[in-house]
Amino acid sequence: MQTFIAFFKRFSIFFFFVLLQILALPTYLQYSSFPKSQYLTSASSISGNMYSWKAKLTGYFSLEENNKLLKVENAMLRKKISSDLYQVNRNTYKIVDTSFEQQYEYIPACIINSTVTKRNNYFTLDCGSLQGVVQGMGVFSPNGIIGIVHNTSSHYSVVKSLLTQNINIDVEIEGAGLFGFLKWNGKSPLKGTITGVSNDAKIKKGARVVTRETLGLFPRGLLVGYVESFSVLEGKPLWDITIKFNENYSRVKDVYVIKNLLLPERKILEQKVPNTPDKPSL
Amino acid sequence: MNALITYFFRFFLFLILQIFIFNQLELGFGIYFLICPLFVMLLPFEINVYLMLSIAFLMGGIIDVFSNTYGLHASALLFFAYLRPFVFKLFSPREGYDSLKKPSVKDQGHLWFFSTFGLLLIIYLLYFFILEAFSLEGLFLILQKTILSFILTYLLSLFLHIFLIIRPKKI
Repeated sequence: MQTFIAFFKRFSIFFFFVLLQILALPTYLQYSSFPKSQYLTSASSISGNMYSWKAKLTGYFSLEENNKLLKVENAMLRKKISSDLYQVNRNTYKIVDTSFEQQYEYIPACIINSTVTKRNNYFTLDCGSLQGVVQGMGVFSPNGIIGIVHNTSSHYSVVKSLLTQNINIDVEIEGAGLFGFLKWNGKSPLKGTITGVSNDAKIKKGARVVTRETLGLFPRGLLVGYVESFSVLEGKPLWDITIKFNENYSRVKDVYVIKNLLLPERKILEQKVPNTPDKPSL
Repeated sequence: MNALITYFFRFFLFLILQIFIFNQLELGFGIYFLICPLFVMLLPFEINVYLMLSIAFLMGGIIDVFSNTYGLHASALLFFAYLRPFVFKLFSPREGYDSLKKPSVKDQGHLWFFSTFGLLLIIYLLYFFILEAFSLEGLFLILQKTILSFILTYLLSLFLHIFLIIRPKKI
């Protein structure tokens, strides 16, 4: 017993150090894949509020540029409004359109805190569950996609951006019809990589890379970037594709959160698929 | 008592500078400005080790809350604090440290500060970046980040240290 106490006394500082490391490390390693609580992130009310003050303060510096961007987008959207179109057939009447149903709704939001040079970059948005933001929703800006909602509180939410290690967004290379996973290697915030594209298919430089609809997070065809270069991945029959993001993530301020109105219906349907297909059910 | 208040305010000053200024400065090339190690470095010689570890853990934890890293800064800063006594012992003068003096450039000289703080900082940054990437896959990138961040963080720390903390006393 004496020796045990002596042993413990001798290494007590080390034990204290290890104890604190045990508190810190598992939470860090879990967070990027399984967000558990919002309280210790920038979605919490204290840090969220402080960041929104900061965003208010620094928002003025980029006001002009953001206005310009929004104007361009407004002009583009205005073209599509029916009142701006010239009516060729004058004797029509109002049609209740049943061939289309609203699938996506957009919640406007502002990025109040963001980083782009860390290994895993999270963006904090100024809207939360009160505005209808739910974990797992997609986020995009007029120039490209931003990421996936990782965690929400009532007034704020944290977005896992494209600039994180395990983002794995399904993308499609337009024209070639090839599908792959978008990843980020942590080197440059301007460039991403696509894996999982088999190298027997041909790719053109400069081809558009757009989203797919597989998980229902993003509508089909949102621009992500352009193919910049590609080479054969060593030892595997796959292309190693580098793309240039269309969005400049260090500048982006105004974004939209995507709400897929048909997602619950789809999930219910997909849950009915049996998980063990190798067992024949009679 | 006076010193306690100084450290208390310095704690918050460093946190505010780190979170709202240096975390927002993004030069690219993997350059991080991490000034909180300087705070831990400048704690007095005779401080209780448990207290120092707790302060470092708390400080890192607060930065984590604001940068969504959830334990990365806490772990790294704790590591820095844990190594501090060993490195101080390594570079101690023959007659030991004078408890009236502080571990600063002014009291110990540039050479001592560079060797202790420099060694601690480079170990800290290496640990930080390996933990951040959580693989040795991009080893070259980790080394690049460590070396560039080391140079800039060291210079920034020296600057802060000389201009903010060792002010010329007004008579």
